[in-house]
Amino acid sequence: MNIIACVRQTPDTETVIKINGAANGIELDGVKLVLGPYDEYAMEAAAQIKEKNGGEVTAITVGGEKAAETLRHCLAVGADKAVHVQDTGADDALAIATALANQIKKLPHDLIFVSNKGTDSDRGAVGPMLGELLGLPYVGLVTEIEIDGGAVTVSRDVEGGSKEKFKVTLPAVICAQKGVRGEPRYASLPAIMKAKKKPIETVAAEGDLASLRKVELEKLEYPPARPPGRMVPGESAADKAKELVRLLRSEAKVI
Amino acid sequence: MSQYLSMETLNWMLFEVFRLGDLLSAPRFQDHDEPSLRLILDSVKKFADSELYPVFRAMDADPARMVDGQVIVHPAVKIMLERAGELGLVGSTLDYDDGGMQLPVTLYQALNFIADAANNNMTGYTGLTSGAAGLLCSFGSQELKDIYLAKMLSNEWGGTMALTEPQAGSSLSDVVTDAIPRDDGSYSVHGQKIWISGGDHQFAENFIHFTLVRVPGGGPGTKGISLMLIPKFRPENGRLVPNDVSTVGDFQKMGQRGYTTTHLVFGEKDDCRGWLVGTLHRCLEHMFYMMNGARIHVGRHGAAIATAAYYASRQFALERPQGRRLQAGGLKDTSEGQTLIINHPDVRRMLLLQKAIAEGSLALILQASLYADREKTSKGEEAARYHDLLELLTPMAKTYPAEAGRRAVDQGLQVLGGAGFCDEYVLQQYYRDVRIMAIYEGTTGIQSLDLLGRKVFMNKGASLKFLLAEIEATCAAAAEVDELKPYVEQLREQLALNQKVLGHLMPMAAQGEFEKMLSDATLYMEFFSNLVVAWQWLKLGLVASGGGSDFHRAKVHTMKFFFQYELSKNSSLASTLMQPQRLTIVGPVEVLD
Repeated sequence: MNIIACVRQTPDTETVIKINGAANGIELDGVKLVLGPYDEYAMEAAAQIKEKNGGEVTAITVGGEKAAETLRHCLAVGADKAVHVQDTGADDALAIATALANQIKKLPHDLIFVSNKGTDSDRGAVGPMLGELLGLPYVGLVTEIEIDGGAVTVSRDVEGGSKEKFKVTLPAVICAQKGVRGEPRYASLPAIMKAKKKPIETVAAEGDLASLRKVELEKLEYPPARPPGRMVPGESAADKAKELVRLLRSEAKVI
Repeated sequence: MSQYLSMETLNWMLFEVFRLGDLLSAPRFQDHDEPSLRLILDSVKKFADSELYPVFRAMDADPARMVDGQVIVHPAVKIMLERAGELGLVGSTLDYDDGGMQLPVTLYQALNFIADAANNNMTGYTGLTSGAAGLLCSFGSQELKDIYLAKMLSNEWGGTMALTEPQAGSSLSDVVTDAIPRDDGSYSVHGQKIWISGGDHQFAENFIHFTLVRVPGGGPGTKGISLMLIPKFRPENGRLVPNDVSTVGDFQKMGQRGYTTTHLVFGEKDDCRGWLVGTLHRCLEHMFYMMNGARIHVGRHGAAIATAAYYASRQFALERPQGRRLQAGGLKDTSEGQTLIINHPDVRRMLLLQKAIAEGSLALILQASLYADREKTSKGEEAARYHDLLELLTPMAKTYPAEAGRRAVDQGLQVLGGAGFCDEYVLQQYYRDVRIMAIYEGTTGIQSLDLLGRKVFMNKGASLKFLLAEIEATCAAAAEVDELKPYVEQLREQLALNQKVLGHLMPMAAQGEFEKMLSDATLYMEFFSNLVVAWQWLKLGLVASGGGSDFHRAKVHTMKFFFQYELSKNSSLASTLMQPQRLTIVGPVEVLD
């Protein structure tokens, strides 16, 4: 089985994010970039399915030079080879999906994993766009997946605690929800050393991506500063509780 | 999850300050590159976030203990042992031929620093097994390696070092555990060992104790001591059989309560066998191969606990409003809301002290580790120079983070006020945990005797000259930066003061008054460590001065704080060290009545 894991490099969630001077992006100097946390789940699902059913996992990403570091991570957690689609244009879901689709068409593919969303863009748009561009079925937010011959059986959570279950003919694009195959494995030291010997193919992004970039980020701003904690006055616990209720009702207006 | 360290600071020190990338050009490390090292750092951080930090407080609340004759530790230890083995952390610095990954020691220490900061109760288990595996690789026979090494590296079998006996703690010359040769080449062992960290628990199939013993014919004192490999279960005919090693107790401690500390008895049924490691009767130096590494590990623990405590108290200070800032004229505007306590100068002082000690300690650990790597990748005189530098730094790398780290945690607790004294907050646990670091693997007193009585003067003072040359090289580079010039001057003054102090103490040794010379060795340890950590801070300040970010400015600011508030104390220490009176050895014991 040929499995493809589409991954994205994002700022580490522990990095202190600073908005740039033009307020249309973040300052990237000193920002640590990592394999996106949601992409780790997609990569883990791909690795586990390969380990159980055989085949090969190709990790693929679209991005600038640094994005190759993300592929190294993928190679250390189960990918057999990687493709780096070089593109330094503005972050745009349709452009990324197009660059991915144009490359994936050239690769043998049965099962294509994408993640829920990037922790930076928070869009969740590339997956469905990719399915459309490739003309393949797409299932979003999958929490369970099993190979079933030439198809996959997948489940996804829906409101009210219910689950939807689908049988999808391969090839297909599957969006891995958090925990679809448990927690992502750690990149072990032996695996990291082996990853150095696995191939990363670097190709230029294909297609008129510039014309697709129609969404422009106008402005970024910080959320309001968190107010300091506040001690609720009162002689007794009952007094304090009474005052707390009053504050929640009249000031916070949450009850 | 609360922050317990700064990966940005750790990565900056590793790759910008200590330039780990440069080390990778050595043939020993040619299979590693910087992206790989960064990846394993991230991997261990995730492991620490997911498996270590979440159980840190639970392990304290549910400590290691004896239940029906079995040492029981927290269930999380099982997961940690499995994951650490899978990650390849045990013995990763060893040669490929021995099953290691030839990882730089500097990186190994950084990885364990992350784990220590997340949960200092855990890392001893794997750290001791790593050290024991290294000991086996360096001095054990091929036959012993074939039997024991793979299981230790996979973390299925634990390793320990067993030195202390009830009558022989710091004084190893009084060890009496005996080992009598048997016809099959093994030895029959009888005796007991106490304070054996990680010595037994329910989650390892076997424990391999590297034990100091006396074999007949070795003579008295430390020179007659031999080193034995004593397994809890010995492999026999393809299966493990009990080797007459009994765990008779687990010491209940004030801190590191999740980390077992055992009392072992060998040969109660006259069926305990040991196998010689290294040269008969000349094995104490073999054990010190492991011990010296363990001393730096203890210092690393001190640095890590101080770091975790710093971030916990900093978080509190960022959230806790209390009082109001003084305005011009000394008045407070009570109509304004309360200010966060981080805005009060005294709280800021305590936090800066924590940061200065924690990061200075980490730099010291990495510096010592870098010398270990440089020694391994150099030859001849250069390798000898790095060896001497490591030898000289080791007692300080163990002691400064332990002693100053304890002071840092204490100030961190103070930042929380009454809350710091309550078990609802974590500071009290750090306070209890860090205390042992000044005792493990040679107390501060022992380390200080080693520093002043041996290391400073060894090789006719050549090691000290090497170190002073390293410090001067940093001073010369820093003197090119205007902002750093006053601090270069201050450090050079302290170097001159050090020579003055040694000039005062050395004649005592020449006149045979060794007790007098060494009576305040602990003060000299504090004095010289302050100087060495100031050198580290100047090095950090020098690299940071080239960057323009808030991060870099914070490093330079903390460097200034260290010089102004800590290094300045050296004048007082020097004054005491050069007093003609020795109040601790003069006068009858009744002065303590």
